[in-house]
Amino acid sequence: MPARNLGLLITAAALAVASASGAISVAPASGAISVAPASAALRVVATTTDLAALAVAVGGDLVSVESIVPAATDPEAFEPRPGDIDKVRRAVLLVRVGLGYDYWLDTLTKQIGDKRLLRGGDAYLDASAGIPLLEIRGQSVMNEGGHAHGVANPHYWLDPENAIIVTAGIAEALVRLAPEQRQRIAANRERFLAELKKRRQRWSERLAPFAGVKLIAYHNTWPYFARRFRLDVIEFVEPKPGVSPSPAHLSQLILEGRKAHVRAILHEPYEPEEASRLVARRLDVPLVLLAVSVDSVPGTSDYLSLLEHNVAALAQALSPPGRQAP
Amino acid sequence: MSDALSFLLLPFVASVAFVLIHAYLGVHVLRRKVVFADLALAQLSALGATVAFAAGHSPSSTAGFAYALLFTTIGAALLTLARRLARFVSQEAFVGILYVFATAATVLVVDRAPQGAEHVKRILLGSILTVAPQELASLAVLYAIIALLHWFARRPLLAISGEAPPVGRSMFAVSIWDFLFFLSFGVVVASSVSIAGVLLVFSFLIVPAVIGSIFSSDVRVVLPIAWGAGIAACAAGLAGAYMLDLPTGAAMVTAFTLLLVLAGIAKALVFVGVKERRAHLRFAARSLLALALLFTFASSLWLMVNPTADQPLAALFEGSTGMGPAHFLSAGDRDIYESATRDMARFQGEVDQLNAREKRARFQAEPLSDEDIRRIASYQQSFNEMARGERFVQEVLRGKARARERWIVGLPAAVIALLGLGWLARPHRWRHSRRRSVESGASRNSIAA
Repeated sequence: MPARNLGLLITAAALAVASASGAISVAPASGAISVAPASAALRVVATTTDLAALAVAVGGDLVSVESIVPAATDPEAFEPRPGDIDKVRRAVLLVRVGLGYDYWLDTLTKQIGDKRLLRGGDAYLDASAGIPLLEIRGQSVMNEGGHAHGVANPHYWLDPENAIIVTAGIAEALVRLAPEQRQRIAANRERFLAELKKRRQRWSERLAPFAGVKLIAYHNTWPYFARRFRLDVIEFVEPKPGVSPSPAHLSQLILEGRKAHVRAILHEPYEPEEASRLVARRLDVPLVLLAVSVDSVPGTSDYLSLLEHNVAALAQALSPPGRQAP
Repeated sequence: MSDALSFLLLPFVASVAFVLIHAYLGVHVLRRKVVFADLALAQLSALGATVAFAAGHSPSSTAGFAYALLFTTIGAALLTLARRLARFVSQEAFVGILYVFATAATVLVVDRAPQGAEHVKRILLGSILTVAPQELASLAVLYAIIALLHWFARRPLLAISGEAPPVGRSMFAVSIWDFLFFLSFGVVVASSVSIAGVLLVFSFLIVPAVIGSIFSSDVRVVLPIAWGAGIAACAAGLAGAYMLDLPTGAAMVTAFTLLLVLAGIAKALVFVGVKERRAHLRFAARSLLALALLFTFASSLWLMVNPTADQPLAALFEGSTGMGPAHFLSAGDRDIYESATRDMARFQGEVDQLNAREKRARFQAEPLSDEDIRRIASYQQSFNEMARGERFVQEVLRGKARARERWIVGLPAAVIALLGLGWLARPHRWRHSRRRSVESGASRNSIAA
């Protein structure tokens, strides 16, 4: 562990210098949903802001919710901090995305060693349970702990219908932990689902004119969203996350994009924009910033506004008057 | 093809500009023996850009550049200090500490900034492929100004880079020149790292200069060689990235390294006298042969000791002769092995086909219901399980085949390799006594004639 110690030392030195000089002023960390704990509230910890937002929707003021991965960072490249161990240890309910998306959680819970927090434990909830999974991969040599979508594509929360399944799981777990609150939990969920249904109707109507439209995305983040709203994502700018695209791939992409009449490039807010911008410019189509997670883009502070934002941004980019070169 | 050209033209022009200025600065850096100073300066300027970013300025804005310049200036001052502190702390150590500190501080600042991860990624990898024409124009102006400055001040700058402890100059004057050098160096590196990334900039800087210095120590010779080699490496790297479908930055760095190896070989084999060339060739051939024999011997031993583990020798043999593990199995086992291979491909195909079907249904005709999707997913899971089962069968049989192969392939290979090594290591006297006897025979003949 000498490397780690050195890192800590350097970190400490950097902190000292930064605070002493006062030269570094930083914006507050965005994201990380945390709802002020009411007295005797159930402490729910979710790995992502999306699951945290859904837990808030179900738990209401019965729960205090914290998330671990800050919004607008790449969750698959996340590295837990010392404070996260404490957060997880004190969780009454731990909600994770599963499917290898937040694989780092396993080492964290193993280190804590509390049986409640391990797979099958009372406080453990894998939100992917019961989701109709898309793009199940053949041959996964690295099953657990592997990056890059070991089992199936993990971005299932981007389909509003899947929120029904996820909230069901959360509600069930909460009722198990606080049986006397069954009614309130059920009522909270009903209210959320009613609103979701209403908006879902509107979203589908808004995107209906663009059914079958061809798109190119930066990463393979959108299969669930595409399935629900009937979009066709034909290719990806960076097919292997973390390996910058080759010139051959980009020119192939532009060729195919032209042939298929691609209408827009979808881009995640935490990824470098250059390559997507280049493809968009060559195809003369808009670059659409879609939010992958709650709070990763301003104005997406809860689950419904996340989808609202994505639907609106996409509809606007695809409508003729909104069509302008980026 | 026109698409490809239009893709590669701007990156190529940009990398030529980078090579022209970086190779020159690289010569200085090599002479000063502070090879990693560029990383330290680049990282400090990145820290500046990150602080600007965290304070809400875009990296390409004036404020962003001002922050980067400020931090680069601080870095230049610190590196100037390094020479004065050389008695206490080695310059390399000083530069290294500066680098890790700047990197760690960047991570800490980024951690507080929204969307910072993107920023760090960009600094490391860069994206020379997507360089914009405006960026290129401002780079050209900047580099022209710095090149002019360096041209006018070439004598003092080269002098202080060359001598270890500068003699005949006041320490103050040396420090001023040092500072100016590091400042201009920092400005160049700060501008190039934001486009090409840390890895590639390091290659631009060091590799051409090293290639040049292999062939000469005179700056007037080193520079043209460095420039030529650097431009050739850029062209090769970009072309390779296009033709082999590789990430651009990594392909270019590899091309630089390969060119350095080629230059080394050329120096040893081409730019020497006939006698030396023969000696070098013999040495190279003998060491290559020895390496190959050693590898063969070690891996054939490994095959005999543990036939079921990963076996590079057996895999190489099977790959090159086309004789797969099936050839070493009994007829019954061979059938099982082959059907396992077939079935695995089939199951794999089924999974892919289901994925394609689901994908089509997303936007064509009737959408699939959640129940359909679940059914597809569970089929896929079972196909995956079955494929895994077949792979297990294959592995067991391959182990069995390898257990036979170890005597058929491993033992002869080991014996041959051992004999070959023995021949290479035969005593020196032996080798020359034969030649001497031939020569003396020849002279006797000539006398007789």
